[in-house]
Amino acid sequence: MKQRNLLGPASIVLFLVYMFLPILATYVFSIAVRWDRSILPEGLTLDWYRTAFQDRWFLIVFRHSITISAASVLVSTLLVVPTAYWVHLRLPRARPLLNLITTLPFAIPAVVLALGLIKLYGQGPLQLARTPPMLVLAYVIFTLPFMYRPVASSLEAIDIRRLTEASQSLGASWVRTLVEVIFPNILPGILSGGLLVFATIFGEFTLATLLVGARYKTFPMQLVYYTRRDGRIASAYSVISFTVAWATSLIILWITTWGTRRSSGRRSPVGRAGGGAPAGGKA
Amino acid sequence: MSLRRKTDRTRKPSTAWWNWLPIIPFLVITLGIMVLPLAFMLEGSFQSKEGFFTLENYLSMTAPVYTQSFRNSILLSGITAILGTILGTTVGYFVYRLRSSRARELVVTLCDVTSNFSGAPLAFAFIVILGSNGVVTLALSNYLGWKIYPTFSIYSFWGLVLAYTYFQLPLMVLLVLPAVAGLKQEWREAALSLGADARSYWRYIGLPILAPAILANLLLLFANAFGAYATAYTLTGSRFNLVTLQLGSLLTGEVLRDPGAGDAMGILTLLLMGMTILLYQLASRRARRWRE
Repeated sequence: MKQRNLLGPASIVLFLVYMFLPILATYVFSIAVRWDRSILPEGLTLDWYRTAFQDRWFLIVFRHSITISAASVLVSTLLVVPTAYWVHLRLPRARPLLNLITTLPFAIPAVVLALGLIKLYGQGPLQLARTPPMLVLAYVIFTLPFMYRPVASSLEAIDIRRLTEASQSLGASWVRTLVEVIFPNILPGILSGGLLVFATIFGEFTLATLLVGARYKTFPMQLVYYTRRDGRIASAYSVISFTVAWATSLIILWITTWGTRRSSGRRSPVGRAGGGAPAGGKA
Repeated sequence: MSLRRKTDRTRKPSTAWWNWLPIIPFLVITLGIMVLPLAFMLEGSFQSKEGFFTLENYLSMTAPVYTQSFRNSILLSGITAILGTILGTTVGYFVYRLRSSRARELVVTLCDVTSNFSGAPLAFAFIVILGSNGVVTLALSNYLGWKIYPTFSIYSFWGLVLAYTYFQLPLMVLLVLPAVAGLKQEWREAALSLGADARSYWRYIGLPILAPAILANLLLLFANAFGAYATAYTLTGSRFNLVTLQLGSLLTGEVLRDPGAGDAMGILTLLLMGMTILLYQLASRRARRWRE
């Protein structure tokens, strides 16, 4: 009995140390004058951030990453929400197909997807495979599970049939029904799916570097570049990446709790309502 | 659930062909970005450089450089999946037993957040703590006189194991919590009242019930690690021989271009991933039997 009382807290504490140590160390490293000769940092400074921000590449890669992530979220929303709505409402026969399609990306490593895209679209003078729009489309496919699942579970939580019939009996068109009735009702699902897609793509390195590479440098590409050249600047980049990742996770969590509370009045016992799916392949 | 929804329907959904029209954009993009590229890859894997049918590309996979990359990838994914499963199940169990639901929710939130930390920034964080001048490296050598370099290196296989386990572990905790929560208190009480001790409760009841769920999650972790690229690339460049790194350097032209071999390697990877996910589905279907 005594032994178990110790084993539980000990394993949780060790787990917390393992989870926090690398992240905290990176945060401290990014504001340390020097931290490679002694246990404690030799003074604190914001110089590495200043250096990172002053580099003209910083704004460029940041803008590129924001652009690609936002474009992918937009395309994904426009593609997934109407499709999911229509299939749930009028085409239940297509649901197994939709489930299959939105699960498959888990089984396709990013490297393999990049290989296939370059094989099919890499030839010819246009080099379509190596353009930002192709990267956006690849991301839309790559993040389908993250977008579809929260949207589908939101659709299942409301009575879309009744809402649609009510809206149409009042004379609204399909598009108007979708935009003004369905969309607001499944907004928590769309938001949490969209944010997860955004965060995933903002930190995504593999597809970006293998498809477009130096033609359109993104934030993670520049981070990897600095890990080989200047650890200080790499640490500033890493801290920004981590901050974006945990901030989005917390917002998603807040939205899903708020969404489930609003729709059912209770919370699932282990949290994580519809928001997260295993982050396959992102590493 | 879906059964009840069906009987609720007053109007039978129409099955006319034009009902498929609104989802055509979705199907076209899926076809163009996911299905066709992989289909062309399959075709390419059976094609010689001159465009004739051949099995040469698959036979070339027996070359040491390719067998080694598959062996390394399977070992790395296998070891980190097993480590993640054992540690994650243990942590998950103790998290479930926590008395305060607030503490439990905090750990779940933490896992939610940390399982999203991966790729380049995570790899760099491990360089910060365990690189040759890393914080932990220095602490161990200064206070304990334990110089981990050059026996250990964050840029080596075991360094990768450590970094991969970082994103496997919280994922496992998240995956295992619902399964552990499904263990009914009455089963435990019944076993204990029949004279079982805690050890034999786990040996004969707890673990056998959890086994399918644990196996399913183990397979998911394996697939998760096998497809990973950015973490390994940031830590080792293309020096370490993994399947994904090998495919990546084929794409960036770092090695002699042999498209057929690349296609064959891609198809073998897909087969391995597909089989793993299929087994995962079977195991998790079995695991769901206990959750009624």
